[in-house]
Amino acid sequence: MDITFEHVTHVYGRKTPFEKRALDDVSIRIPSGSFTSIIGHTGSGKSTLVQHINGLLKPSEGKITVGDFVIHAHEKKKDFKELRKRVGFVFQYPEHQLFEETIIKDVCFGPMNFGVSDAEATKRAEESLQLVGLPSSFWHRSPFDLSGGQMRRVAIAGVLAVRPQVIILDEPTAGLDPKGREEILSLFDDLHSRLNLTVIMVTHNMSDAANYSDQVIVMGEGKPLLAGSPKHVFLQEDLLRKVGLDIPETMLFLNKVLDKAGSKDKIPAFTIDEAADSVISILNGVKDHV
Amino acid sequence: MEKIIEVSDLSYRYSEEQPYVLKNINFTVNKGEWLSIVGHNGSGKSTLAKCLNGLILPQKGTVNVGGYVTSDEEKIWEIRRLVGMVFQNPDNQFVGATVQDDVAFGMENHGLSREVMIERLTEALRLVRMDQFAKSEPHRLSGGQKQRVAIAGIVALRPLIIIMDESTSMLDPEGRKEIIQTVRALNRDRHLTVISITHDLEEAIHSDRLLVMNDGQLIREGKPRDIFKSTELLRKVGLDLPFAIKMRNALRAKGVPLSDTALFQEELVDELWTLHSSM
Repeated sequence: MDITFEHVTHVYGRKTPFEKRALDDVSIRIPSGSFTSIIGHTGSGKSTLVQHINGLLKPSEGKITVGDFVIHAHEKKKDFKELRKRVGFVFQYPEHQLFEETIIKDVCFGPMNFGVSDAEATKRAEESLQLVGLPSSFWHRSPFDLSGGQMRRVAIAGVLAVRPQVIILDEPTAGLDPKGREEILSLFDDLHSRLNLTVIMVTHNMSDAANYSDQVIVMGEGKPLLAGSPKHVFLQEDLLRKVGLDIPETMLFLNKVLDKAGSKDKIPAFTIDEAADSVISILNGVKDHV
Repeated sequence: MEKIIEVSDLSYRYSEEQPYVLKNINFTVNKGEWLSIVGHNGSGKSTLAKCLNGLILPQKGTVNVGGYVTSDEEKIWEIRRLVGMVFQNPDNQFVGATVQDDVAFGMENHGLSREVMIERLTEALRLVRMDQFAKSEPHRLSGGQKQRVAIAGIVALRPLIIIMDESTSMLDPEGRKEIIQTVRALNRDRHLTVISITHDLEEAIHSDRLLVMNDGQLIREGKPRDIFKSTELLRKVGLDLPFAIKMRNALRAKGVPLSDTALFQEELVDELWTLHSSM
């Protein structure tokens, strides 16, 4: 299920004093099965962009294609149920949306909403809870007795139980401690490769974008400014800084080392291990020149 | 050093059937210091913070703030004036229709006169660099700007202590920087005592002192440089390590003979250089 945006514009509050062009002639492509991160300053249009992918927002101009589902601007009322079945959306702080008496009931709510039978919903809920790593001893307990990180995993299981082919994550790690953050990210990394799920992640964390994605899209003032592999994107330090973004912390550190060596080079290394190798080769390089 | 908060033998549980979420905690806070509290989600950090301004009263032990005990009902408003708290979500803290109304709200609650309010409002907004936005409505502001307004509302009450309960965790990197710079200036220039509950270790390494919480207990207390030497312990309680330490460990594993002193990235770069030129 490839996702494409063709000349999509979105205007909030049209013909009011608050009119704002949140997306401005956006054309992008998100290939099926990819892990795409969307980065950008607050107000750059990231969230507006992803809310178009499952029809929460409709384009003011342009066309969006999600697999064989097409959304045009100026269309009459449309049934988005089919689209929303395929595109799951994990909002910020999804644990705030838990409401049922038991964890299993909460996870069943999604599929049942899409007309799945009780038995089938329960089966899917159990599978999803296993996927997110919540032991069965918890399933009949209240979701409200769980820790923040566990509650978030239950909320994610609720989205997975609908069996989407695309999943959108709006800052999935906000407010979690480092351990919880790593757990959630490796969960999606795993689902992405195991279920061939297309993952679209909105994030403020440059290191996460660099380490997990195939493609990074940089938004600024409603436009995609840059798109490509993490290496390609994070080498454009000046452009990123201009729109209030940073580069991953590993590259920031390498910059300090390179600076000291009197080099203007940029090295796109994203894991600590890669960066450590680069540090050693910078030091050796300096020695060779002396 | 003058003590501004003294917590002794504090224990707390949310109800009688439940286990204690804070267990026999003892520590003090010095006037004018920057104290960070770290620990994984659910370790009791936020509950502890709520004990420090009397939002929660412990079942055992006492909390003494600037000479008042939080269990003293008569003094609770005085304590809350002394201890301002900035929470996590900028949208849940904005009560006024405009920036200036929001900052005035706290002062009205404390019954300050109009003249005093106007004077302090101007001053507080200037300190957080939001004076240009006095008449702005909240939806026109970024998350970082809203948090700065929340800080102005606290500063206007002339507190001695400001507690930040993960106040930067919902902000983008730029908003995060704005808040840290603002609070750092208040700490330095106005000698405001800062207690910061945070997951951001790059922020925590700059504090004067650090408390480490795990399962309701205070397990370590000391200078960041000393605490981050116990890398194994920190890992065991689910905490990450500051970047410079992770990098140092990786370099050591690859055979670079580094010492275990560097805590800041700049120190690590310097050490690499010294090492390198002597090779």
